[in-house]
Amino acid sequence: MIVEGSYPLPGSPDVIWDLLMDPDVLAKVMPGTKALSRTAPDRYEGTMGVGIGPITAAEFELTITLTDLQRPASYTMQIDGKGRFGFTRGTANVELASEGVGTVMRYRADLQVGGKIAGLGQRLLDSVSRMLTRQGLDALNRELTARLT
Amino acid sequence: MTAGPYFGMRIPRLEDAQLLTGRARFVDDVDLPGLLHVAFLRSDEAHGRLRGIDAGAARARPGVVAVYTALDLGDYWRPGPLLVPPPPIPGLVFHTATQVPLVRDKVRHAGEPLAMVVAESRYLAEDALEDIAVDLEPLPAVTELEAALEPGAPLVHEQFGTNLAAHVHQVKGDYASARSKAHALIARRFHYDRGAAAALENRGVVAQWDVRAEELTIWDTTQAPIPIRNGMAELLGLRESQVRVIAPFIGGGFGPKIMMFYPEEVLVPWAAIRLGRPVKWIEDRRENFYATTQERSQIHDAELAVARDGTIIGVKDRFLHDTGAYDPYGLTVPINTQCTLLGPYVVPHYDSEFTAVFTNKPIVTPVRGAGRQHGVFVMERLLDLAARELEIDRVEIRRRNYIQPDQFPYDHQILFQDFRPLIYDSGDYPAALDKAVELIGYERFVGVEQPRLRREGKHVGVGVVSYIEGTGVGPYEGARVTVEPSGTVRLATGVGTQGQGHFTTFAQVVADVLGVEVGQVRVSTGDTREFNWGTGTFASRGAVVAGSACHAAAVKVREKVLGLAAPLLGVAPNDLVLAGGRVHRRGSPDQGITLGELARKANPLRGAVTPGTEPGLEATAYFGPDRGNAASGVHAMVVEVDPETAAVAIKRYVVVHDCGTVINPMVVEAQVQGGVAHGIGNAFYEQLIFDANGQLQNASFMDYLLPTALDVPTVEMAHVVSPSPLNPLGAKGVGEAGAIPTGAAFAQAVEDALAGTGIEITEMPLSPGRLFELLQAAQGGVG
Amino acid sequence: MAATRAARLRHPYRDLGGLRVNGQHTIGVMVNGTRYERSVEPRLLLSDFLRHELGLTGTRVGCEHGVCGACTVLLDDKAVRSCLMFAVQADGRELRTVEALGDSDQLHPLQQAFHETHALQCGFCTPGFLMTLIPFLQEHPDPSEPEIREALSGNLCRCTGYANIVAAVRRYAEKSGTRELRS
Repeated sequence: MIVEGSYPLPGSPDVIWDLLMDPDVLAKVMPGTKALSRTAPDRYEGTMGVGIGPITAAEFELTITLTDLQRPASYTMQIDGKGRFGFTRGTANVELASEGVGTVMRYRADLQVGGKIAGLGQRLLDSVSRMLTRQGLDALNRELTARLT
Repeated sequence: MTAGPYFGMRIPRLEDAQLLTGRARFVDDVDLPGLLHVAFLRSDEAHGRLRGIDAGAARARPGVVAVYTALDLGDYWRPGPLLVPPPPIPGLVFHTATQVPLVRDKVRHAGEPLAMVVAESRYLAEDALEDIAVDLEPLPAVTELEAALEPGAPLVHEQFGTNLAAHVHQVKGDYASARSKAHALIARRFHYDRGAAAALENRGVVAQWDVRAEELTIWDTTQAPIPIRNGMAELLGLRESQVRVIAPFIGGGFGPKIMMFYPEEVLVPWAAIRLGRPVKWIEDRRENFYATTQERSQIHDAELAVARDGTIIGVKDRFLHDTGAYDPYGLTVPINTQCTLLGPYVVPHYDSEFTAVFTNKPIVTPVRGAGRQHGVFVMERLLDLAARELEIDRVEIRRRNYIQPDQFPYDHQILFQDFRPLIYDSGDYPAALDKAVELIGYERFVGVEQPRLRREGKHVGVGVVSYIEGTGVGPYEGARVTVEPSGTVRLATGVGTQGQGHFTTFAQVVADVLGVEVGQVRVSTGDTREFNWGTGTFASRGAVVAGSACHAAAVKVREKVLGLAAPLLGVAPNDLVLAGGRVHRRGSPDQGITLGELARKANPLRGAVTPGTEPGLEATAYFGPDRGNAASGVHAMVVEVDPETAAVAIKRYVVVHDCGTVINPMVVEAQVQGGVAHGIGNAFYEQLIFDANGQLQNASFMDYLLPTALDVPTVEMAHVVSPSPLNPLGAKGVGEAGAIPTGAAFAQAVEDALAGTGIEITEMPLSPGRLFELLQAAQGGVG
Repeated sequence: MAATRAARLRHPYRDLGGLRVNGQHTIGVMVNGTRYERSVEPRLLLSDFLRHELGLTGTRVGCEHGVCGACTVLLDDKAVRSCLMFAVQADGRELRTVEALGDSDQLHPLQQAFHETHALQCGFCTPGFLMTLIPFLQEHPDPSEPEIREALSGNLCRCTGYANIVAAVRRYAEKSGTRELRS
């Protein structure tokens, strides 16, 4: 499953970069994430819960590892989620480029999904992912706006 | 054949009342005191190396009685049997890799079982699955057939150094030379994708060990109870006589319930013995999508060489066959494809080569049709394309190439799945075609209606296709017929029954031979205590092979009746008549004796008998045909396509079928109608969609669509009867027939409806979404 | 697989998602004219309750997600999928299952019509079809073929291809028309 797009954000890439490295902010950017904590400089662990179609409360043990950190321009997240409803894993690339007074964030995630969520929720996965991504970016936008004002 | 009052008649089924009132026993209806329930932990990954399983927490959960992993099985852990060895074809390559009871080192498809939980209820067993921690290293999966054979592809079975599971080349004539004489060469690539058998009843096993009798009873949703009994006895180190397998009423088979020795089938009896309590496992629907075998992915590169007048010069076919993660069923499916492609046609030169491929997908074994669909689809499509190119009518090109009624037995000079030469026993293909063309009104449709409807802006099309179904294969079946003193005739046979009507059709065969009412014949199938020689219900062979055995046993009993009654009534045996449950003097119905009374006399309590006398009116007989027979038929359908939405409506569906002598036309027609429904599903709705990681994307009936009452028309039917010379009934099989040519008919009809768009259908299934894409690609749409 | 039997996956009652109540509830239901009182877990499906608690195994389970219709029973005279309900939801209600229709000696006229037209093969889905049709035929005593097919479209049958089921309904309707005329 590929999730990609771009999103205009207020503030400079540096400001956004710092926010994105903050586990509390990261948790907000990834809707459904609970109790994300930084367990190493480039590693975050926590749980995430989503509802997809008939599966109302799929919970994942989530590990995110950051690689290729090119502050403030780009980084890659290795995502690994496992739970009793299946798994998701893959990579997400994030690029931040200043544009005018703000920043454009480009993202592209390539995720594998397996287990029950793949077999039973496939129909809805794309739309749910798009919705969650949009919610996450809106949350980031709000966070930024709040911090910048 | 006997010309009694029941054979050939529409006898309503004797088994119906039990089923209609909900009192028939299916496996999940078996309830026993102290029954334990099983749930399996299955792999989410399609390919992965198992590093460890920690079941400690699950074992500690209240209500859990046991948790087993591969390591807990000890010596009992072993790969399953190779069920069908490859036939003796020169140069054949076959790599054997059979399924394992629980994954020990490597997961090879999503849904493979990792651990077995036994608990006081199914709910508790499923709860405990969540307590099990699995350490599994994901590996890249291989799902596409061509990619699987590329160098460097991930290997499903490392020991072979390749994902090639088998390679088979069969040749007749000299295609390479003949090809140069062709007026036209039609070459295309054809795809056929996977579907599920989707019997409404999922699989299930219940096992009980009687410690005092030292007997194991297994209730199993199997099409082949006797091989399961024999195999389980061997696996468990028991005598065959200690194991009883009961296949009670089975809620549909369609192939995958054959003697697979599925992991669950092997483990549940083992656990019942080990735990000293009865154990039950019932598959749920989601499990069924992964754990029950499937069928149908193949890719063909085929070429047809034809003369100017449409005469077939030869066919060359190279195809890839997806066998899934293991190949326990050998080569039955691809060899069926290879043989069935030839159809009812004279094909002087045939060069067919296939490669079976391991993939990280569920196992492939026969599903209703068993590879025949693909062969028919490829051949019929090639003929359609040739007809268009040569500007010959579609019906005419088929007629010109038929094997003629005087050419039987007709030898295709290649080997069939039963290891015997592919020789057709009998048939009348032109007669079937004529009937079908007449029934569907082909000439009128093409000449008058279609042009008129087209002028009205309607996109209607007709498809007419032919097929052969190799049926009734060996090795053998048996039956025992017993006349009881009550006058009831008991008939026991070993094949399982999954709705085919055996309780009635076998009774019809026996009732006529013995001159009793059909309701007096009580049939037992699928219980090894009742009968323990035989193989099973598959390859449309029940009526042919088991039916012939029933007939033979009844004839033997009839001889006993005559032998006993003749001295009693003081007449020669051939002056006796069996009728109305009695045997009497010809011409003097009142001078006779009931069969029940005769049975009593045949089992004396005192006195003496002539040495060598067998007691009772009972006989056992077996039937093994020399080779399978060739059922055949023509399907014709009219469709209307909405080019805007790509919705296809089936307006009419005609089947002319030849399954030899018909025992019960009502049963035969219903088998065909049901087969067509299955075929419509396969053609249009049913596709198991796997992603590149081997994850099934539609593992429920919400996403995997079976045809409903709104999708399946009432099929208009006619019969042609070419009795088979290979068995005493003259019967051929029918169980799979309806499902086999549907895709080919569908493709031709849809293409015809969309003539002018340039659309060409070379794949099955063809969902509305996919048809829409093809229409878009063909550009321009329809006028 | 795991947990498909548990409550969490069943969409009409998704508000119960994640519910894991281990307590027992006492329920009282009238089934086929007999009153039963049982103590059940809240997550016990009605289909499992009927089959395994009451031994009424004529109600079949084919998909456990409400698509196939094999588990159809009448709840206060309306056809419902018993795999989509919890037993506790039937508390105080009246249920009818296939066992309430005829028996082998005296089939219900609809069962008789199924028998005469060969409208069943393996018979696994048949009780669900019958229980779907009982209320339908009360409301549509003389249904047309499209009406019948529409009514049957929520029940899956893999064996028959439906044609003979449609024929059975027509035969039943015609005969009950005759029955009414006679009476």
